Amino acid sequence: MLSPEAKKKLAALLGPRGYLDRPEDLSLYEYDGSVDKARPEMVVFPRSTEDVVAIVKIAREHGVPLVGRGAGTGLSGGAIPRAGGITVGFARMNRILEIDLENERAVVQPGVVNLDITLAVQARNYFYAPDPSSQRACTIGGNVAENAGGPHTLAYGVTTNHVLGLEFVLPDGGLHNTGGKEGDLPGYDLTGLLTGSEGTLALVTKVIVRLMRQPEMVKTILAIYNAAEDCGRTVAEITARAITPVAVEMLDGVMLRMVEEATHAGFPMDAAAVLLIELEGLREAVEEQVEQIREVCQECRAREFRVARSAEERELLWKGRKNAFGAVGRVSPSYYVQDGVVPRTQIAPTLGVIGKVGEKYGLTISNIFHAGDGNLHPIILFDTHRPGDLEKAKNAGEEILRHCIDVGGSITGEHGVGMEKNELMDRLFSSDSLDMIRNFKLLFDPENRLNPGKVLPTGKGCLEIRQFALTGAAPIY
Amino acid sequence: MSETALTPGTPEELAAGLGEAASRRQTITLGGRFSKNRMGGPVAASDVTVSTAGLTRVLTYEPRDLTISVEAGMPWIEFSRLLAANRQMVPLDPPFADLATVGGVLASNSSGPRRRLHGAARDVVIGMKFATLEGKLVQSGGMVVKNVAGLDMGKLLIGSFGTLAALAVVNFKLLPAPEVRRHFVLAFDTAEAAGAAVRAIRQSVLQPASLDLLNPPAAKRLGLDGYVVSVEAGGNPSVIERYERELKQIGPLTVAAIPLQEFTRNFLEEHAGGAVVRISATLSQAPEVVGRLTVPVVARAGSGVCYAHFAGAEAAAETVRGPWIAIMEFAPEALKATLDLWPSPGGDLELMRRIKRMLDPHHLLNRGRLYRHI
Ligand SMILES: Cc1cc2nc3c(=O)[nH]c(=O)nc-3n(C[C@H](O)[C@H](O)[C@H](O)COP(=O)(O)OP(=O)(O)OC[C@H]3O[C@@H](n4cnc5c(N)ncnc54)[C@H](O)[C@@H]3O)c2cc1C
Repeated sequence: MLSPEAKKKLAALLGPRGYLDRPEDLSLYEYDGSVDKARPEMVVFPRSTEDVVAIVKIAREHGVPLVGRGAGTGLSGGAIPRAGGITVGFARMNRILEIDLENERAVVQPGVVNLDITLAVQARNYFYAPDPSSQRACTIGGNVAENAGGPHTLAYGVTTNHVLGLEFVLPDGGLHNTGGKEGDLPGYDLTGLLTGSEGTLALVTKVIVRLMRQPEMVKTILAIYNAAEDCGRTVAEITARAITPVAVEMLDGVMLRMVEEATHAGFPMDAAAVLLIELEGLREAVEEQVEQIREVCQECRAREFRVARSAEERELLWKGRKNAFGAVGRVSPSYYVQDGVVPRTQIAPTLGVIGKVGEKYGLTISNIFHAGDGNLHPIILFDTHRPGDLEKAKNAGEEILRHCIDVGGSITGEHGVGMEKNELMDRLFSSDSLDMIRNFKLLFDPENRLNPGKVLPTGKGCLEIRQFALTGAAPIY
Repeated sequence: MSETALTPGTPEELAAGLGEAASRRQTITLGGRFSKNRMGGPVAASDVTVSTAGLTRVLTYEPRDLTISVEAGMPWIEFSRLLAANRQMVPLDPPFADLATVGGVLASNSSGPRRRLHGAARDVVIGMKFATLEGKLVQSGGMVVKNVAGLDMGKLLIGSFGTLAALAVVNFKLLPAPEVRRHFVLAFDTAEAAGAAVRAIRQSVLQPASLDLLNPPAAKRLGLDGYVVSVEAGGNPSVIERYERELKQIGPLTVAAIPLQEFTRNFLEEHAGGAVVRISATLSQAPEVVGRLTVPVVARAGSGVCYAHFAGAEAAAETVRGPWIAIMEFAPEALKATLDLWPSPGGDLELMRRIKRMLDPHHLLNRGRLYRHI
């Protein structure tokens, strides 16, 4: 519980516009992009690193839990204050501190929106590579916490490959720096450890990212299929022939129709599936690869093969892809996005399994995914007002993820474990591995006050003791 | 080195061996084939030597998945050959390639010219299993290229010089090998001209796999004059032609190719008392480093890492102190115990030490190997 005294201190520190504590305001911060909810007792908006240090010290003094929050677009409940306490919103720490093209780096505050980095440098021919579909809204702090990916991570890698240094505050209030603009600093790669730690080890207050030179040529292809298996075969064949697109996204028929109705991007309404393929690089390389891919698509019985002719056409196709979840929202009152990963050769069989799971639970499951790297996003449509539907959706999701584990994949490719998949972690990792994760958690956060109840299994039944150890004072659930 | 030598044959045996030694509070020297004893901090005397050289199996390799899982003791050269047979690669280009093991390459964070385009070890490893002093095998990551389940603990082991735990299994993502690989070598009279060329290439639409810059003493060792820029490109024949056309505009092309991967090793083999300082420069500092130092310098000008080669450790000791962020990466073994190999660690050293204490509370494992600070 946040005491009136702690609240008063925070209010004094941040001023009247720097926090929220009325129930109607707090209710806006009880959810993120996932399906779970929990209400913070206070939301604070630091303006500087010093503010963050001061907030963390107050929280420490009063023994209150803390959760960082970027844009709240997370899809695994990462920013949900499961144990109550203070939500630290980074919306006001949204400045790009430095753009250093000479060194291909930018230094940004965590609240900077992902796309804003690219917007700031694109006139000078640079871009920031990790491009989550939510990039118009999500923040770099959230990206670092989740190690976010995106369509183009197939070629360029995920967030961790583009983050070179961090400034961060530990739950004891200590301020630290690690990494830098330079290459290969000696010592342990703390930047690498913290990236993807889902806001459970530290609050990040500054990020050094890599900027990349824009390619000379970009070509976007839409390949249309009457059978989803043919689509899957195309992906496998592209890999087998060593063709290296920068993005290979697949949308199934259900998804296509939802997207087309919402965005009018020019997707066919009657197809079984499409591939959205992008090639980038030197003209000589791209032109050749377009032809190679055309061949593969024809051999794999694509019924149509379109190359976007203009930047507008290209953007429209991507808008369709990137607004897909929004499009789903128009059709279904609620949906549950999964984030399983399978080895590339398992994509086609896994699609079959997902279809069967949908039938079993009587739920529509639509597929949209980063096919090039085997990262699936089955979207389970349901209606919270229909009793039992949420339960069914969660069970169906879990069944799909169990399949991903069984074929050597993972339960999350980019959305994080959060409070959504933590109970599945013991299917993926041995207890020795989970213990080690817990050791790291306790090393950085011995009182378990930073984003508690995430990532690690909270334990059920006889394992309750584990959760006790994890939360310090008392079990949450 | 020590009384007892262990060469476990499985990851489980490795974990058991470490666990047993640690439970007896025995100090441990950990390595693969010990090809890099001149690298890093001194190899301290210890009670037990544990080598991962017996862990040589390929655990999973499905080329169509573009991933591979191998045990840490696999010789790097065998690993590369296996991939090459399938026209695939992990383009780290580490030095000591014919002696090193996969685990050793990672533990020393070795890399080479092509890191400009393909990154270093942290960018190509997708998962690993490591054995701890508690005798446990811990998994980080997995066998798929995108995976954010759990903490990325594996990152800590890369460049850790075996001071935290023993790498047992490493999973990599793979790249298809390019159809054609070609080198281009450009020579310039001044550091400024060479620096400008590097900058022009970096800022152009060309995306070479490597971009290295050598000062005249380094060039001389390879039989060339002046400041030399070495570029490797990969792709189809018309891509390669395009590189040739554009690079010619930037500067005069000289010889076809220069061997850079083993530059440091060759230098050290000639200079028994030699030392190599690794400077972590920014991209814009790299040409400056090349211009200012008078010993042979090879700069990975596309990533900022510069290697300065000294015939004796005294001069190296001066350069490592500044003005750039630097470590003495290689030094004569006999002198190491007295040299300041890492004069100015960052403020994050204390956190690194906390991690070390957590994994090795009695300070048993590879004492001092992390440049004498851990
Ligand atoms: C429509 C849609 C599409 C999406 N597409 C993608 C996609 O393609 N790829 C992808 O990877 N994800 C995607 N996501 C998921 C989500 O956008 C990402 O996880 C994103 O990184 C979250 O950023 P955020 O700013 O919204 O973070 P939040 O949701 O606010 O928080 C996420 C986590 O970050 C932590 N956090 C935030 N700021 C900090 C900080 N400064 N210090 C420490 N911890 C912090 C929080 O505590 C929480 O654990 C999508 C989401 C939506 C809604």
